Amino acid sequence: MPRSAATLCLESALGAASRAALVTLVALGAFAALLTAAGKDPLKAYVDTIAYVFGNPYGFSELLVRMIPLLLTAVAVALPSRIGLINVGGEGQLYMGAWLTTAGALSLSDQPAYVLLPVLTLLGFVGGGLWALIAGVLRALRLVNETISTLLLNYVAPMIVGFFIFGPWRSPESASYPQSPAFVDAARLPSFFHTRVNAGLFYAFVCLLLYWLLMTRTRWGLEMRAIGGNPEAARQLGVPVFRIILIVMFLAGGVAGLAGMVEVTAIQGRLVSELSPGYGFIGFLVAWLAGTSAVGIVVMAFLFAVISSVGDILQITQGLPFAVVNILMAVILFIVLARRSVGSAAR
Amino acid sequence: MNAALIAGVIASSILSGTSLLYATLGELVGERAGIVNLGLEGIMLIGAATGFAVAALTGDPYVGLAAAALAGGAVNLIFAYLVVGCRANQLATGLCLMFFGLGLSALVGRPFVGALITGLPRMHLPGVGGAGARLLSYDMLVYLAAPAALFIWWLLFRTRWGLVVRAVGESPAVVYAAGRRPAFVQYQALALAGLLGGIGGAHLSLALTLTWAEGMTAGRGFIAIALVIFARWNPLWAIAGALLFGGAEALQLQLQAAGADVSPFVMNMIPYLLTFLVLILWGWNRQSAAPAALGRTHFGVE
Amino acid sequence: MARIPLLLAAWAALASLFAADPAAAQDKPPLTVGAIYVGSVNDYGYNRAMKDGLEEMKKNIPGLKLIEAENVPETAESERIMEGMIQQGAKLIFATSFGHQQFAFNLAKAHPDVVFEHAGGWMQAPNFGNFFGATQTAWYAMGVAAGKMTKSNTLGFVVGVPIGYAIGNVNAFEMGARSVNPKAETRVVVTGGWADKAKEAAAANALIDQAADVVTMHVDSPATIIQIAESRGAYSIGFQSIEARALAPKGWITGLGFTWGPFMTATANAVIAGTFKPAMVRLGLGQGMMAVAPFGPAVPADVQALVTAAADKIGKGFTPFTGPVADNTGVVRIKDGETWYGDKMGNFDWYVEGVIGKAK
Repeated sequence: MPRSAATLCLESALGAASRAALVTLVALGAFAALLTAAGKDPLKAYVDTIAYVFGNPYGFSELLVRMIPLLLTAVAVALPSRIGLINVGGEGQLYMGAWLTTAGALSLSDQPAYVLLPVLTLLGFVGGGLWALIAGVLRALRLVNETISTLLLNYVAPMIVGFFIFGPWRSPESASYPQSPAFVDAARLPSFFHTRVNAGLFYAFVCLLLYWLLMTRTRWGLEMRAIGGNPEAARQLGVPVFRIILIVMFLAGGVAGLAGMVEVTAIQGRLVSELSPGYGFIGFLVAWLAGTSAVGIVVMAFLFAVISSVGDILQITQGLPFAVVNILMAVILFIVLARRSVGSAAR
Repeated sequence: MNAALIAGVIASSILSGTSLLYATLGELVGERAGIVNLGLEGIMLIGAATGFAVAALTGDPYVGLAAAALAGGAVNLIFAYLVVGCRANQLATGLCLMFFGLGLSALVGRPFVGALITGLPRMHLPGVGGAGARLLSYDMLVYLAAPAALFIWWLLFRTRWGLVVRAVGESPAVVYAAGRRPAFVQYQALALAGLLGGIGGAHLSLALTLTWAEGMTAGRGFIAIALVIFARWNPLWAIAGALLFGGAEALQLQLQAAGADVSPFVMNMIPYLLTFLVLILWGWNRQSAAPAALGRTHFGVE
Repeated sequence: MARIPLLLAAWAALASLFAADPAAAQDKPPLTVGAIYVGSVNDYGYNRAMKDGLEEMKKNIPGLKLIEAENVPETAESERIMEGMIQQGAKLIFATSFGHQQFAFNLAKAHPDVVFEHAGGWMQAPNFGNFFGATQTAWYAMGVAAGKMTKSNTLGFVVGVPIGYAIGNVNAFEMGARSVNPKAETRVVVTGGWADKAKEAAAANALIDQAADVVTMHVDSPATIIQIAESRGAYSIGFQSIEARALAPKGWITGLGFTWGPFMTATANAVIAGTFKPAMVRLGLGQGMMAVAPFGPAVPADVQALVTAAADKIGKGFTPFTGPVADNTGVVRIKDGETWYGDKMGNFDWYVEGVIGKAK
């Protein structure tokens, strides 16, 4: 009697989950060995992290706060990857989204929230989108590969932000520190339940939903996957590759720009020079691990947020620099990379 | 515009560009063999931290330098195992390597933050004084940088090994058919790339700043990747690229010291914009100088 | 009467309980203090000075527990770290870098029972205070030292971020130099960040290329700049921590350092006693928060006397920012009869005469 589709689905899901669990366990073990060699107590760190993240409302809320930018930057990578483009420019797009949002927040500060917030959301999207579009245009015109251009643009964006917060947007009250003036309350994205979990979570899930709908339920999604498979054939078939490259890059940058908008309106409340601890790059890893599936992105973003919490615990309780947690992230990925690609086609 | 300023800019460019040049050469060798390594930043950081740590422990900067090179090579071999042995996606693995390097260097370097080391000694060329003395008193790595580029050029274009490496980068299948093992060659190329990347990182901590700080390479690894394209995968052009970038970095500081009115932010952007310009021009030119099998997924614009 | 032996026995039992387990009595520390640093405490600079102050506080209050975190960035991350410390029982948090202010303030609102002290800001709340050294006037004394020691009459100043306070430091420095050497000029190079070591090295080299033979700085850690100066035979004047003199055995002139210990001890005691009152504390030389570092071997006795005299003057209230003071384009910025002090120190966006550079 053949197994039903549901059973097969469940089996494959369980299989995937158990593989993921195995990978994580191995990575945790390797990391623990490293920590022990460094004279620290890894088990205590792990236990503390579980307690912090799941037993502590603040810890759990911060988990969600961490996930928000990761979800957005992951979509920003996943979307172009469907047409074979590699967007490593999440950082820069985030900064430019934040920059344009600030321009709006500072000049429209007398508007009420129900006008200001949608405008700022739009500005954040457009800021990141235009920044990514530069790379998109260069790629569509066959001038520069988008991996390199998005990478370089990552460095120019913070400089633009720096120029403005030192110059035209310098906050007069904190003449001693370069930052923009604080945003008015109407420009602040609301947070919930006295935590820092904010409406950005809503944005992230909307983007994920739209991404999923686009890829699985629309004709464009089909066209995009055709391009991703074989661009030349797609072109021959009349698919407007040039236009799609531009649109996709704009949308991707826009989503990353939203992450920047959330950062300045919800978390920071102003434009500052240090907005992102590498969200763009971590988003790339999240998207890559997730295999560009929307559910996978949520799961992986959650995983990375938990890992980051390990870093917090290590820093507070064991005196290790937060950066050490990058090793754990990398080891998990190394294992996945080593296992996944044997025999499979290049992505 | 005075003589001191010109001399200062040239000297700063050379100093600044040295670590870039070594890193660029390393990436170049790897890419000639068909492998893109986005994790060069991580390799440089590991080189900087290891070099500094060992120099602090042993008191000898040369031992530190050797350790940095070996560490870079060893970690790059891990990368090589993943992309060559396991055929993993090069870009994802590279970024992963960057994070690994960030974390590992922080761990290794932490006990040594604030340590005082004797850095790589500066060697004055005998018989030169005055403005010349400033221009011509560098550490060993600086003097060896351009010769290293020449050596890599010779290695890639005038030796059999280099020929095989380039062939692997163009078409691994042909090399295989000719009876060689492309994978083995790629491992060798990546080991060399790691050595050079580690040296590039070590120059920052052992000679330039004499300190270690988390993330101190500040993106130089990525700049080196762009410089490889700028140099059209030719080591001799890499010298020009490294000087250009090192120069742009140093120029705005030198101009400030001379009293010119420049905005640091605008000046900081110039190297990147310049690189963009050059890349666009190369792209316009439509000749792809890239090794055909680079990245296995295409690293081009088709 | 028969109760007495019983009471005595009970008391003896109680006493023996504490005696047998001495840790029990000391189990609860009088106070748990959390501290976050923006960089590493081994930087011979800003963070080291903070660390030294906290260690002094810990020594002065036996049993005090200190939780620290280094390399805490000035981003939302800092809020998590501080919250973690509060959850570990910290009742006093020192947020030692400017960029931690907003996040510490957010937590102050959420935790009214925890006291926050922030370095360098201006925000106030019932459980949120601010402290910093009044550095500008103190730099005058450093200028005196530099003006006397320089032979090329060119002084070099590396500034991390050109905020008003840093520019004020440069101004006081130049004015001090001019007071003993009318030909002294100060060249300024801005690196754009508080801790960019590669740029600091290049900046120091650039200044020395332009003939500066005394180099000083306002960045988080003076280590890189002092080492470059030492390797090129230039004098150096340190800032942030007086321990920096270890870096330049030959070329060290003197330096300014923060002595946070007394303030931190007083604050911790106030928190323990429940008498904490928030304040904006700005103390300068001679008032307990700042000190002049010991002189290096190259400094002759007469120069030392001059510098010490200047420091005394400043400790008694002298400030160079008394009008008329003109900027380096000739425009009078501080009018005759006016004196700039206190909050105005953050308003500098111009350099005094003798400084080569543009502040805006």
